[in-house]
Amino acid sequence: MSEPLLTVEDQRTAFATGRGLVRAVDGVSFTLERGRTLGVVGESGSGKSVLSRSIMRLLPPNARSSGAVRLGGRDLTAMSEKALRALRGPEISIVFQDPMTSLNPVMTIGAQIGEVLTRHLGMSRKAAKARSVELLASVGLPQPDVRVDQHPHQLSGGMRQRVAIAIAIACEPALLIADEPTTALDVTVQAEILDLLARQQAERNMAMILITHDMGVVAGRCDDVAVMYAGRIVEQASTEDLFRDTRMPYTSALLASIPRLDDPPHRKLEAIPGRPPDLIHPPAGCAFSPRCRYADDLCRAQPPALEEAGRGHRFACWRPMAMEAAE
Amino acid sequence: MADITPDRLDGSSAGAPDDNADAIASHNRKNRLGLGFWIPLAWLAVVVAAAVFADFLGLFPADEIDWMHINEGPNDAHILGTDHLGRDMLSRIIYGARVSLTVGFAAPLIGVGLGLVLGILAGYYKGWIDEVIGIAIDTWLAIPGLVILLLFSVVFGGSLGMVCLSLGLLFIPTAARITRAATLNHSNREFVLAARAMGASDFRILTVEVLPNIIWPLIAFVLIDIPIAIVIEGALSFLGLSVKAPTPSWGGVIAEGREHLEGSPHISLIPTAVMFMTVLSFNLVGDAIRKRLADVRDGAI
Repeated sequence: MSEPLLTVEDQRTAFATGRGLVRAVDGVSFTLERGRTLGVVGESGSGKSVLSRSIMRLLPPNARSSGAVRLGGRDLTAMSEKALRALRGPEISIVFQDPMTSLNPVMTIGAQIGEVLTRHLGMSRKAAKARSVELLASVGLPQPDVRVDQHPHQLSGGMRQRVAIAIAIACEPALLIADEPTTALDVTVQAEILDLLARQQAERNMAMILITHDMGVVAGRCDDVAVMYAGRIVEQASTEDLFRDTRMPYTSALLASIPRLDDPPHRKLEAIPGRPPDLIHPPAGCAFSPRCRYADDLCRAQPPALEEAGRGHRFACWRPMAMEAAE
Repeated sequence: MADITPDRLDGSSAGAPDDNADAIASHNRKNRLGLGFWIPLAWLAVVVAAAVFADFLGLFPADEIDWMHINEGPNDAHILGTDHLGRDMLSRIIYGARVSLTVGFAAPLIGVGLGLVLGILAGYYKGWIDEVIGIAIDTWLAIPGLVILLLFSVVFGGSLGMVCLSLGLLFIPTAARITRAATLNHSNREFVLAARAMGASDFRILTVEVLPNIIWPLIAFVLIDIPIAIVIEGALSFLGLSVKAPTPSWGGVIAEGREHLEGSPHISLIPTAVMFMTVLSFNLVGDAIRKRLADVRDGAI
């Protein structure tokens, strides 16, 4: 079998702070094939966004990173900044959470897309503008020929996110990272943006990493789902397996905290007790053990390893839940 | 379907066009540039045009001495009179305007240009670059400005270029600090990260992403500095530390008239009045433009 498009091996990213070393990503490994979508789910502070920055090699200067990130056979961790710059855009690109801040307020939409096209594809300004209009049309922006000359403040949040997507896909990247692409948007446009991402992915045969805190977003849109907690993947499986055959109590707790349409009215929503752990002094055992209702002495003493349990289903738990327990 | 879509997407609503027109009209009335802008601007236009085209105005040569007509008040031959050597006052003031305006524009541009480079590097790279530039600026600020000006005048003599440069150097610290603060503010924005994520180099990020966002406060700063530079140049000329005689400059002409204040006060007073009006005009025009810039930035226009 040929090598997968993206291989992340034992990625560790920590930040030196005044209080100590924050281990934001703590030994994450996974692979992603061309044209597939991986959902990465976790609470705030679980390391999802830092993982995406680690893959892009877009870390701030106080970050300490180790591990290997291979994209199409090349090791990004060993690359010079200049070589990485040539890769960002045509090979790998990202859509950020908040389109209010991810677009430059003083540049026209067309200039922001065109910049990428002229830089990476060597297009003339005129060709870049024509292509920008096409891209804007392909992401479903109405009146692309008018919008191309407008500034971000003249567009709504959903339209801006469409523009951000147009910029991200402008150079036909092999891998697109969508970092909470709908979190800052109205609920009414969230589904539209997710559908747009899925459509662009299918048309361009991109691999996509969809980062979200919302289990509902990954369901039905991702081939595989990785659940992150305290900087580690605690469970990963095909989306179907993960929902049907949940093994890790944290995943189960996340699923239980989604309100369901068929619940009786006024049913109390299940919340996960406690707070995510302090990443400077993580618990000695399983990071989830202080909040886990099944935790025992072993869980609190020794961290479980992420182990394969058939059909690509991996989980890290000493007391995995049986199939019945997930019901 | 097809006929309503473009309308609505334009943001122009079909309802109540009169209300909209009224609102726009009232907004425009409130933001109109009044006489407090146009009169000073006209004055500046006259001064600048006279200075630029001085050679074609048929003036007396600015350094032509005429012992037969010294200390004359305004008359038919010399509209603004003559000085203690019989030189034509109008001519000396117009040629003096060249010095004042050159320094007035060049010094702030030199200072803000250099300050911009230092500030943007300090604000973007932070770390040791920021510290080195910060210490250099603090050191520079610890030397009194007048000492720097004196030193330049003594070492390099009174050439116009050196006056612009030495004055410009004095504007660097403030310009660098304004730039650094604005850069710090903008280089943490997500669109800078987004540009990096799309493969932009540091140089591109600084020039294309950051600079257009921080340029407005710097333009405002230049507008404030122009009249300040003109006044400082006037003071330097008065002290004899600017361009050397016989090249006329406003401060120099004022200084020359000092000894004849009793008999011929016009020699000092006319250039003083011209300088006063010019500086005031720059301030008024600058204020109006800065207000406009703030409006544009806030999206009000």
